[in-house]
Amino acid sequence: MAVLRPFDKLPVLNTASLLLVGSDQRLQQELAQAIVKEKKSSNISIHLATSLPLSSERDHLRPRIDLIVFMIDIKNKYSLKNVKASLAHVAASFFLGKVCFLVTGVGRVNYCSVEINSIWKLGEVYCSPVLFCELELEGIRVATAQRLLRMLQICAGHVPGVSALSFSFLLRSSN
Amino acid sequence: MAKHFLEIPGESIFPLDAKEEILEECESFWKQMEQCQSTLKLLETETLTESDAQFSLPVMQMKALRAEYNQWQKRSPEIISTNPDVLFALGKKELQKVKNDLEMVLSTVQSKNKNLEEELRREQQWYEEQKQLVDTLSRTEEETKNEVEQLSDKSLNTSAFHEQRKKILKLKRYKKELLTALGKFLEEHFPLPEEAGSAEKKNSYEDPAVELKPLHDILEILIRKLMSTPHEPYVPIDDSFWPPYIELLLRYGIALRHPENPCRIRLEAFHA
Repeated sequence: MAVLRPFDKLPVLNTASLLLVGSDQRLQQELAQAIVKEKKSSNISIHLATSLPLSSERDHLRPRIDLIVFMIDIKNKYSLKNVKASLAHVAASFFLGKVCFLVTGVGRVNYCSVEINSIWKLGEVYCSPVLFCELELEGIRVATAQRLLRMLQICAGHVPGVSALSFSFLLRSSN
Repeated sequence: MAKHFLEIPGESIFPLDAKEEILEECESFWKQMEQCQSTLKLLETETLTESDAQFSLPVMQMKALRAEYNQWQKRSPEIISTNPDVLFALGKKELQKVKNDLEMVLSTVQSKNKNLEEELRREQQWYEEQKQLVDTLSRTEEETKNEVEQLSDKSLNTSAFHEQRKKILKLKRYKKELLTALGKFLEEHFPLPEEAGSAEKKNSYEDPAVELKPLHDILEILIRKLMSTPHEPYVPIDDSFWPPYIELLLRYGIALRHPENPCRIRLEAFHA
C-alpha cells in the first residue's frame, strides 16, 4: 500500500510506533536512540525512513504508525523538498494531530538555507505543529526526545482524556 | 475511543476470579476496538495535495473536534471494577507514582537550596573583601592628603622648588644656544652640494632623485635614535644621506657602522 493510513491495522498491545521521515540518517539514528533511552511505561518502536512512500514489500511486518515526524534540516534545501514530496503519500486523516514537523539544525543560524516562513506556512497548511530543535547538542536532543515521546503516547491513545487532535491544537501558535 | 487498558501488575497473589474478571473486560474492549477499526477502514480518506489541504483540512478538523465534543458530552464516569483486589492494586500503584514524583520534587528543591546557599556564601565573602579594599584605599588616601598638606606648609621647600625651576630654565636656554651654534656652524662649513646647472649632468644616472638632507638633520636623526632606543641605536642609510658626509662622520669616529650590515649606522655613545 503506497498511502500511509492511520487506522488500517490494529494496534499492538501496550506499544506505540513512531515514524521518522528525514534525509539525514545519522541525526535520525541519534534522535531514535535518545527516545529509546527515556523512561517510559509502554514499548516504543521507532521506524526510520528517508522518504515516503514506504516500500510495500515489508508492509505486513510494519505495525500501525501512531505519529509521523517529518524532519527538516534548516541547512539543506533538499530536505524541505523531500518532505513536501513525501506529504503527498500520507492519508488526510493523519493530519488530525498525528503529524508533526521537526526542524533541526537551528543552532547554526549562519548556515540557514531554508526560509523559516516556508516552514511556518507548511505547518499552517497541514494544520500540524512545528517544533524547533538542535540535535547536535546533548541537552536539547534529550529534551526533544522527551517531547516527542509525550506526543507519541498521546497519539497512541495511552494518555486517557487527551486526544491527538486536541493536543495538536494546544501546540499551535496563535497568530 | 479514549478508554484505556487496565495494566495489571504482574502479581499472582490475586484470587482467580479477579484476574478472570479483568481478562474478560479486556477481551470485550478488544472486540469493540476490532469493530471500530473495521468501520474506520472503510471510511479511510485519500491523500491531499497542498492546495486541497489548505481548504479541506480545517473542515475535517472541525468535524472531528465536534464529534469528540459530542462524545465527551454523552460520557459519564464509569466505575472501573468493584473487585476490592483490583482496586487495591490500582490504588497502590497510583500512590507509588505520587510518592516517586514527590521524592523527585524534594531532591530538586534540596539541590536548588544548596546551590543558593553556596552562592550566598560566595557573595558575602566577595562583599567582605570589597569592603576591606575600600577601607584600605580610603586610609591611604587620607595619609597622602596629610603628606601633601605638610609639604605645602613648609616654606623652605617652596623656595627650593623655585630654585630648581630656575636651574632647569637656565639649562634649557644653554641647550638652545648650543644647538643654534651647532646649526650655524654646520651650515657654514658643511653645506649641501650645489645642484649642477649643466644639461648633461641632468641626464646622468647619478642625478639625486631624492632631496639630500643637510648634515644637521642627519645628526639630529642619529641623536634622537640613540636617546629614544639605546638598545637599538642603528639607523638605516638611505639615499637622502649624502655619501661624503657619511664618510666624514665615520672617519672622525662620530658615527659607527653596524658590524654585520654596512647600510646601518649609529652615533657613537659619547655620554656613556
